[in-house]
Amino acid sequence: MNDLTRRGFLGLAGAAGVAAGLAACAGSGSSPTSSGAGGGGPIQFWSNHPGTSKDTETKIIEAFQKANPGFTVSLIDGGKNYEEVAQKFNAALAGGQLPDVIVASDVTWFNFALNKQLAPLDDLLAAAGLKTDDYVTALYNDYTFNGKHYALPFARSTPLFYYNKAMWSAAGLPDRGPATWAEFKEWAPKLAAAIGADKVPLQMADGSNYLDWYFQNMAWSMGGQMSKEWTATASDPKTVAAGTFLQDLAKNKWVKFSKSPDAEFSAGIAACALQSTGTLGGITKNAKFDFGTAFLPGDGACPTGGAGVAIPAGLSDERKKNAVKFIEYLTNVESTVTFTQATGYMPVRKSALDNEAEKAFLEKNPRAKVAVQQLAKTRSQDNARVLVPGGGARIGKALDQIVQGQDVATVFAALDKETQAAIDSQIKPKL
Amino acid sequence: MSTHLQVSQGDRHRTPLMSVAGYAAMIVVVLVIAVPLFWILITSFKERQDIYVRPAQYWPSPATTDNYRDTVTSIPFPAYFRNSLIITALLAAAKITLGVLSAYALSLLRFPGRNLVFLVVIAALMVPNQITVISNYALIAQLGWRNTFQGIVIPLAGVAFGTFLMRNQFLSLPGEIIEAARLDGAGPMKLLWRVVMPMSWPTLVAFSLITVVNEWNEYLWPFLMSDNEKTAPLQVGLTLLQNNEGGNNWGPVMAGTVLTVLPILILFLFLQRQMIKGLTAGAVKS
Repeated sequence: MNDLTRRGFLGLAGAAGVAAGLAACAGSGSSPTSSGAGGGGPIQFWSNHPGTSKDTETKIIEAFQKANPGFTVSLIDGGKNYEEVAQKFNAALAGGQLPDVIVASDVTWFNFALNKQLAPLDDLLAAAGLKTDDYVTALYNDYTFNGKHYALPFARSTPLFYYNKAMWSAAGLPDRGPATWAEFKEWAPKLAAAIGADKVPLQMADGSNYLDWYFQNMAWSMGGQMSKEWTATASDPKTVAAGTFLQDLAKNKWVKFSKSPDAEFSAGIAACALQSTGTLGGITKNAKFDFGTAFLPGDGACPTGGAGVAIPAGLSDERKKNAVKFIEYLTNVESTVTFTQATGYMPVRKSALDNEAEKAFLEKNPRAKVAVQQLAKTRSQDNARVLVPGGGARIGKALDQIVQGQDVATVFAALDKETQAAIDSQIKPKL
Repeated sequence: MSTHLQVSQGDRHRTPLMSVAGYAAMIVVVLVIAVPLFWILITSFKERQDIYVRPAQYWPSPATTDNYRDTVTSIPFPAYFRNSLIITALLAAAKITLGVLSAYALSLLRFPGRNLVFLVVIAALMVPNQITVISNYALIAQLGWRNTFQGIVIPLAGVAFGTFLMRNQFLSLPGEIIEAARLDGAGPMKLLWRVVMPMSWPTLVAFSLITVVNEWNEYLWPFLMSDNEKTAPLQVGLTLLQNNEGGNNWGPVMAGTVLTVLPILILFLFLQRQMIKGLTAGAVKS
């Protein structure tokens, strides 16, 4: 966008003007609450069915309707991923006919909250007499902005360390994940020697496929971070050290990057991989060998991720009241247990671990148990990645440059400058 | 004239080297196009554990049709398929009719401001679909047309490309024939149906084919307009097979892709023959 010419800009401005004019002609001035009369209309739930969960969602909705006679929920296909739900919601914001509940991911919710398009939930929950202290703290607080919460955690995931047991024992390693990244660096040459040159010790996602998400773990475990509140801190010496560590792994060919590391790992080409807990089900079905799961290296350095459910701000109070009742039900202990067992996402309630069905499930699925236990060690993500517009892509691009061998300090200094500029121009004025 | 003859004879007796190079190029092109298609096809018949393996499996063994059963049963496939057919048929019909009639008016009928109208239509061709999405959405939502076929079809039925293509085709027709038809007393509609159209079949078929393929693959607008399988086309339905956090089960996705491609492939084979027929029909010119 920097090299936009004057003529190009005028053209764009003209087009925008025309679009705005057309929108005005279309009369978007009508009240956004036009659909769903009062409290009687069905609650419209726009979901991308995270983890191919349409059937499970339907099941939970049926249970909700049974428990709350008079309420109906219609489940609507909101798109194939979180970005498409956001896109569809954006269109609805311009054109009226708002949904009652939308799925909002860790990177899409904030922009809507910042522009006052999502309703803060605290008062709504309090008015309905619903408590929030049972939500896993880190997951619930991910949706805080100006002291208010804008979504409830729903389909939440964390990264998980997957390792190939046969390769692990071939390299003479203990049957566990590395406790720190330093330990992994000691293990890497052994792994490389044991598995041969056509395979790779560690497989990670590349910069356009959420490497920025996984890298937070590396940065945090070494004392760095991408940002502190609204200050970009990628050029902090500790963060730079983490970047240099990743670059070293890449230089030694101990790590390779790809679009979906679960493919390489399942094919038995990579000894271990960092992947979302959401792919556990997929890898279990795809892999022909025995594999283990472990905590991410570094204690308490595991980022959270995934999506929550939110309520648009432009609804009538009546509709908001109904919607909050539904999203609380959608994320209560029974629902979260049902949902997470079907998909591989994480239970969002602390007391889910006392649930009998969940206990039995985890007993039978030790790999999932590791993922759930790791929840206690999670930490909310850095603002620079999830809250600053375009943050994930920006950090991912910088990481791509680093692993290709560019100087870490220079790249991160430039990254900080861009991040800070975005914060100062797009976020600070609205705080 | 004589040089022309020599060239064409030279063409017929190409050097072996040239033929080899020609065949090599042909094979490369075929491979580039066919290998991914081949991979989609065999993956759709593989068992899940055989999809990600090394060394790769070049032939499904054991082969299974479970993926196809999964695709058809795990999403309301017939409903999506029906919607795709309805939307494509309506849109193609609307676009072809509008395209031919407007092109005819803009090329062979004389009326004031003709060029201006043509310019406006061409300008519309330059505006990408995505820009008008928001305003169209607002309009359609307020008409209460979300989740209806007219809501999907009408905003997409405008057709600058067809007008442009068909107008240029009509202008390339020999003016003598048109004039002769007019002298013989053919009215505007008769002129179109009896004289202009028969000479334009190849272009019309090509245009129809492009339109049908485009509409069949339309994603963004139908996705925004439809909330479920009542109106959503196949392209939107197929996304339900994908898992947004990786760990995709590619078998059913590939099976769905194969099933989606088939109707277009059949149509293509059929229309291809029509295209050749049209070519020879137009050749009886002078």
